[in-house]
Amino acid sequence: MAVTDGSPLLSVSDLRVGFATERGLVRAVDGVSFDLAAGRTLGIVGESGSGKSVTAKTIMNLLPSYARVEGSVTFDGRDVRALASSGARHFWGVEMTMVFQDPMTSLNPVKKVGEQIAESLRVHLKRSRKEARDEAGDLLEQVGIPEPRKRLTQYPHELSGGLRQRVVIAMALACSPRLLIADEPTTALDVTVQKHILDLLDGLREERGMAMILITHDLGVVRGRADDIMVMYAGRTMEQADTDTLFSEMRHPYTEALLETIPRIDMPSHSRLVPIPGRPPDVIEVSTGCPFAPRCRSCTDVCLTERPTLDEQGHGHVCACHGPVGTDVGAMARSANEASGVTPAGLDMAAFGSAGVEAGDGS
Amino acid sequence: MRFLAHRLAALVAVLLAVTALAFGALNILGDPLFNVVGFIASVDCDAVLAGEIEDISGQTAGGRGDCEIVEAARKEHRLDRALPVRYTYWLGDIVRGDFGTSFKNEMPVRQVIAEKLPKTVLLMVVAEVMGVVISIPWAVAAAYRANRRFDRASTVTSFGMLAIPNFAMGIILFYFFVVRWQVFPSRFEDTDLFARLKSMVLPGLTLGLPLAATYQRLLRTDLITTLQEDFVQMARAKGMSDRWIMFRHVLRPSLFSLVTVFGLSTAGLIGGSLVVENIFSIPGLGRAVVEAVIRDDFPIVLGSVVVIATGFVVINFTVDVVYSFIDPRVRRDG
Amino acid sequence: MADRLDLGESAGGNDPLHVPVVEGYPMAALDTTLGRRLGAGFWVSVGWLVVIVTVAALAPWLPIADPNETGYGGRMDRPGWATWFGTDTNGRDMFSRTIWGARVSLTVGFVAIAAGLAIGGTLGLIAGYFRGTADRVISFAFFALLSFPGLVFALLIIAALGSSLKVVCMTLGVLSIAPVGRLARAATLVFAEREFVQASRVLGATHTRIMLRELLPNVLIPMSALALLGMAVTIVAEGALAYLGLSVSDGFSWGKMILLGSAPRTLRDGPWVVMFPIGAMFLTVLALNYAGDRLRQYLDVRELAF
Repeated sequence: MAVTDGSPLLSVSDLRVGFATERGLVRAVDGVSFDLAAGRTLGIVGESGSGKSVTAKTIMNLLPSYARVEGSVTFDGRDVRALASSGARHFWGVEMTMVFQDPMTSLNPVKKVGEQIAESLRVHLKRSRKEARDEAGDLLEQVGIPEPRKRLTQYPHELSGGLRQRVVIAMALACSPRLLIADEPTTALDVTVQKHILDLLDGLREERGMAMILITHDLGVVRGRADDIMVMYAGRTMEQADTDTLFSEMRHPYTEALLETIPRIDMPSHSRLVPIPGRPPDVIEVSTGCPFAPRCRSCTDVCLTERPTLDEQGHGHVCACHGPVGTDVGAMARSANEASGVTPAGLDMAAFGSAGVEAGDGS
Repeated sequence: MRFLAHRLAALVAVLLAVTALAFGALNILGDPLFNVVGFIASVDCDAVLAGEIEDISGQTAGGRGDCEIVEAARKEHRLDRALPVRYTYWLGDIVRGDFGTSFKNEMPVRQVIAEKLPKTVLLMVVAEVMGVVISIPWAVAAAYRANRRFDRASTVTSFGMLAIPNFAMGIILFYFFVVRWQVFPSRFEDTDLFARLKSMVLPGLTLGLPLAATYQRLLRTDLITTLQEDFVQMARAKGMSDRWIMFRHVLRPSLFSLVTVFGLSTAGLIGGSLVVENIFSIPGLGRAVVEAVIRDDFPIVLGSVVVIATGFVVINFTVDVVYSFIDPRVRRDG
Repeated sequence: MADRLDLGESAGGNDPLHVPVVEGYPMAALDTTLGRRLGAGFWVSVGWLVVIVTVAALAPWLPIADPNETGYGGRMDRPGWATWFGTDTNGRDMFSRTIWGARVSLTVGFVAIAAGLAIGGTLGLIAGYFRGTADRVISFAFFALLSFPGLVFALLIIAALGSSLKVVCMTLGVLSIAPVGRLARAATLVFAEREFVQASRVLGATHTRIMLRELLPNVLIPMSALALLGMAVTIVAEGALAYLGLSVSDGFSWGKMILLGSAPRTLRDGPWVVMFPIGAMFLTVLALNYAGDRLRQYLDVRELAF
């Protein structure tokens, strides 16, 4: 759809994931589509509960058995969901792998680091004990861990957070996957370490020609790293474009709001960061309108009743909004809300600070 | 090392407390003289020695000979001294391996214990092995499909098993396997190792089934908790099979509480072996101590109790130390 | 803001105690409703306990046979219309005996655990409230008591004092001091830090008053679960002692009936003689265990070590 570039390596089409709970069906992912070509990076951005992790876990076949999945996931021409139900071996972990958020918990505390890296090599590639061990050492070296041979015999608790995440990355890379999914790979780490890990991932991707899906809540993380960006909210795609377009011609008020939650270099250091008012919606409620409407400063009456469709905004840039930013409709809606001081959804415009016009009234 | 020293100090303190409790209970609640010489303690020796009561030595109690024994015992056990003093001397004897002499056949208590203890230990080992061997696959199967039919059924089964008192379980097994179907011998056969082990199957099962139920419930919960850890997702993302993940990743970190309870359950096992030895007529320490209580053979009672309690304390201590070696995180904190 | 609550379950996802947490939405409401319900099983258990206690208490006035009347039925009659639970080797009515046996078993269970609650609870309260030396001494005493295998300790006391109802109750009561006391201490430690205790301390309340009026009511709540579980343990322990021929020489309990019925010949000719007391004990212990367990989950008590 948006980001094609030759035949895609991974193609996700109209993916829907629901969880039956006692309170009803939770629609965690609701009609998500994207393509990812070999060697490229897709950034998936959204708050907690936006469905980005569930999307990743669907691709990785990590969902619990009671999840209901519809739509198709194709990897290199193969139907991933069919592979899952037939119990295919040597696919996950070999063709695609995943790095999780918290390196403190994604390593087994009672197994040595070396064993944990070597096990993929032994199971999938049938390496001997010694070969696997040597390769594990090489992998640790590639992810920039000092004294890699010594680390092999250490337990995870003997390593720092940054080192552990490097170990996790080494584990993921063991069988040279063609796709790496990184789910908030730096969220749990110190700020000083975050950039190192992101740069490492980027470097490894380029070196190995891997495709990568970088999942984050922080637009700043994907800027300059992802080729394309998909913004998700309440299980749906809000806006999708290549990175340059997204930042230069941002259309969705949610994307705009997300951007305002992160510090920017081009703004004075005392600028106020504007949090998005309200909370993400409860995905059990089946709302007829736009899911973001209750928190949106450009909300109109139609937003509350009609679900916006994902419309083309120009060369591969799609956006689901009735009053996109940078359009006359959007500007009118916003000024009307500012005039009345409250949006049609009942949100006080004061929640956006000085009406979002000139940020800068200090802290 | 500091951790080990600390634990060792606690071990010694508890051993002192436990032996004091056993010695004190018998000597404060009971008659100390009776405890060492038995029923002849009731002889009014002053009267006998003064010739006021006729010397009927050679017939029943009450003779001059008995009085000599009583006097000797008074001296030997320092019965005129204060209780703490007597405890100290008694503890010294115990440490040197002198547990006194049985009233019944004048056998040294030490020899009786040496003869009976191995059977009790064998029973406990068989029971623990059965408990562990049954519980691990049971728990893994239940946790793998948590809350499905098998898991629900095993929860009910284990809850029921824990509500059956061990003597009841023993009698039920005895009724079916010995009385009705005559698969196993009704008493302990000590001819060769095979016969010994065969005689141990039912007693072992009597103690092992409730153990297995306890372990299963515990391990199942821990397995389910571990299964939700991120490293399990990571292992799945690495493409490891479910079986591999269960046995190579999930089982070991889930064993911590099992190991702890493994030690604690020895308490129930020691009490249980007392009972089970009596059901299946195993000539172990438990049967010996019960017989001794009924016959008022105090040297045997005290000696056995001290050995059992010491064993219990030492097992718990060992479990504590072993625990710190299984979980590398505990070791670091010391 | 971190995605820590992402869908983390795999195999455990079907557990009712782990309601699925869907991306950022912990369904806490669901979880608590499950945890805050005692459930039908609890009430069935309580129902059984009420029935057995009532029947046992009213035994002398119930229209049942004299439990000691030999030759009430024939020798080893099968269970049937005339004698519901059959008769034993002496032709005594097993139905009546099972009910009368409950009297001793339940009395021992109740008195022992009540004694344990009174003594252990007081010691635990003192240890948890005053801390310091008192705590160290009492905690070590608990630890030493727990270091003694229970049944062996009971044997020792009975060896010294004989096996009357009083001695058996006392012995089992002493055995329940340490587990009860530990829980009381732990609960007191928690509550002693709460505002209402601090407040009454500031207002100049005496130690006794704080312990009795502020702490005791709160500490008693988690103890109720322990009392049920402890009573189950005590009933079984009495049964074991009785089976060994070391309990209550005056009268008979379920355990003693099991001992009498478990002689190989009796077992062969009339397994019902042993099975009915076993069944009664099993159901009672099951009910106590289940009710105690539910109550423990309901009250969310973690430190139970019986």
